[in-house]
Amino acid sequence: MEAEVIDVIKVRRVAREAQQRKSVRSDRVATIAVWSIAATGIGVLTFIVGVILWRGLATALTPGFIFGQPQAFKAGGGIWPMVVSSFYLAFLTLLIVLPVGVGAGIYMGEYSKQGWAARSIRFGADSLSTVPSLVFGIVGLSLLAVYLRLSYCLLAGAIVLALLNLPTIMRTTEESLKAVPQTYREASMGLGASKWYTIRKVVMPTAVPGITTGAVLTLGRVIGESAAVVYLVGMYVSRVPLSPLSPGAPMAANIYHLYNEAALLPDAARVASGESAFLLLVVLALMLLARLVSWFFKRKTRVADRFA
Amino acid sequence: MLRSKTAVKPDGPAKVIDREWIVKKVLFVLAMMTVLGILLIVLMVTKESIPALTKAGPFNLFSSRWDPSTGHYGMLIFLVGTLLTTIGGLILGVPLAIGTAIFVTQMAPPRAAGFVSRGIEVLAGIPSIVIGWLGFTVLVPVLVKLTSSTGNGILAASIILAIMIMPTITAIASDALESVPVEYKQGSFGLGATRWQTIWHVMLPAARPGLIVAVILGMGRAIGETMAVALVIGPATAWPKSLWTPTHTLTTKILMEIQESTGTTRSALFTMALVLLLFSMMMIMLVRAFTKKKEYARGAA
Repeated sequence: MEAEVIDVIKVRRVAREAQQRKSVRSDRVATIAVWSIAATGIGVLTFIVGVILWRGLATALTPGFIFGQPQAFKAGGGIWPMVVSSFYLAFLTLLIVLPVGVGAGIYMGEYSKQGWAARSIRFGADSLSTVPSLVFGIVGLSLLAVYLRLSYCLLAGAIVLALLNLPTIMRTTEESLKAVPQTYREASMGLGASKWYTIRKVVMPTAVPGITTGAVLTLGRVIGESAAVVYLVGMYVSRVPLSPLSPGAPMAANIYHLYNEAALLPDAARVASGESAFLLLVVLALMLLARLVSWFFKRKTRVADRFA
Repeated sequence: MLRSKTAVKPDGPAKVIDREWIVKKVLFVLAMMTVLGILLIVLMVTKESIPALTKAGPFNLFSSRWDPSTGHYGMLIFLVGTLLTTIGGLILGVPLAIGTAIFVTQMAPPRAAGFVSRGIEVLAGIPSIVIGWLGFTVLVPVLVKLTSSTGNGILAASIILAIMIMPTITAIASDALESVPVEYKQGSFGLGATRWQTIWHVMLPAARPGLIVAVILGMGRAIGETMAVALVIGPATAWPKSLWTPTHTLTTKILMEIQESTGTTRSALFTMALVLLLFSMMMIMLVRAFTKKKEYARGAA
């Protein structure tokens, strides 16, 4: 009788230990699996960045390539008009989207109440950020190019890209505003300042770092965007665009052009690889800049420092 | 110090312009630009696709034969192309993304976590045309050797899409896993569960709505991705006989034909854009259904 009881306990202990061993083993297997998945992700990233730079960096960093005139039919061309187009387009886009987006963000962060208006604005922003950029491009094509005769120019691209990035700027602004402590507003309005005065002088300065970071990230996205601009701005220009109404050829669109016209240009692959590497460098530099901006502001404007 | 008119003289004469009121209305109009924008897009795409819908009709538009010269405007091949590449991208990308999210939030030492999430951000920032060019010059030649075909097609597009949707899914899935209350984890460890048991039986189920949203938004990106796919999909207006025969997706077909086409053909391309818009709307509805209270708007683009 006694022996039987002990046996049962023993059997249960053995079973429990086996169970534990199994759990520990599966824990170890899973840990290895998850680590290797993360390693794969980083490996893919390293591979992509490495191969792009390896294939194009030597070309991209030649001054004669960056500042050179493009060639349509013979080898040895540069990409200077495309570089200018990209930055010009990004600048125009920010010029349009910043006032609208920041204003919309202030409305959503400081004024809106939970009503139909706020709900539809939020729905609009969500929809805009799910619509494929190609659809923005063809709507721009039919609206601007056909009805307003604004075809193949930087301005048309900037208008469409401004709409494409409006939700991002709006959301960044709103989130930066929400991070400003409520006590700031109360203190300011308690001293008799009006709401708009409070927003301008107290809330916005504290929210500027977040908005600046968002703007720099948007800059990177605009410079990398291709599907929305190929038929609105253009894919190839031989001269630097001066007016917002002149056609441009952002680098991203030009790479697609080079893919299409590979038969005409003997060194299309060289130019496209060089342009890819340069574009990647620009985008990476902008991401780094965004990080530096937020780091710089964080150091400069600590909450405690401002009101000490 | 107080320069606002209303603040200085609250009982001033009625003709003093109420600046506060004007500011509020102006900001409201700016915010309504989002609504205006999406309405404009939906209206324009619908308007442009009406000729095809009336002249060709839905049966013609959803048939599998695309041959505008004989009046056939079927988009079925491209629709299937979009669905197959998206599914392929999800099959390859979701395990990678969710695994990375688990690594970053649950397993990694802080430094490694920071390093990996920084790397994923960089991956998200690489322009799609650059990834496409890389696919065209590096991935396709490899597939040519492996499969002795042209290398272009569903498989190449799926691999490219997996890379492109991974950052989106990882970012949102990490947020979801991080927002699980820490008591859940403590409770599980307190009962003697191993780390993996905790992740598998507690963390992942608790974060499930957020993980589903992450996958849906990744899917949205895959459906709408154009340039990267365009460079590796073929192109060919034909059924994909295997995973490595050239074909088309909705976006690549629109991209490559919108400029040369006129009349009903152009309109038929806008009908495809309308289908893409419907997918987007469905995506938003699904996301909203899974995040009744929470805001998972970030990363949606």
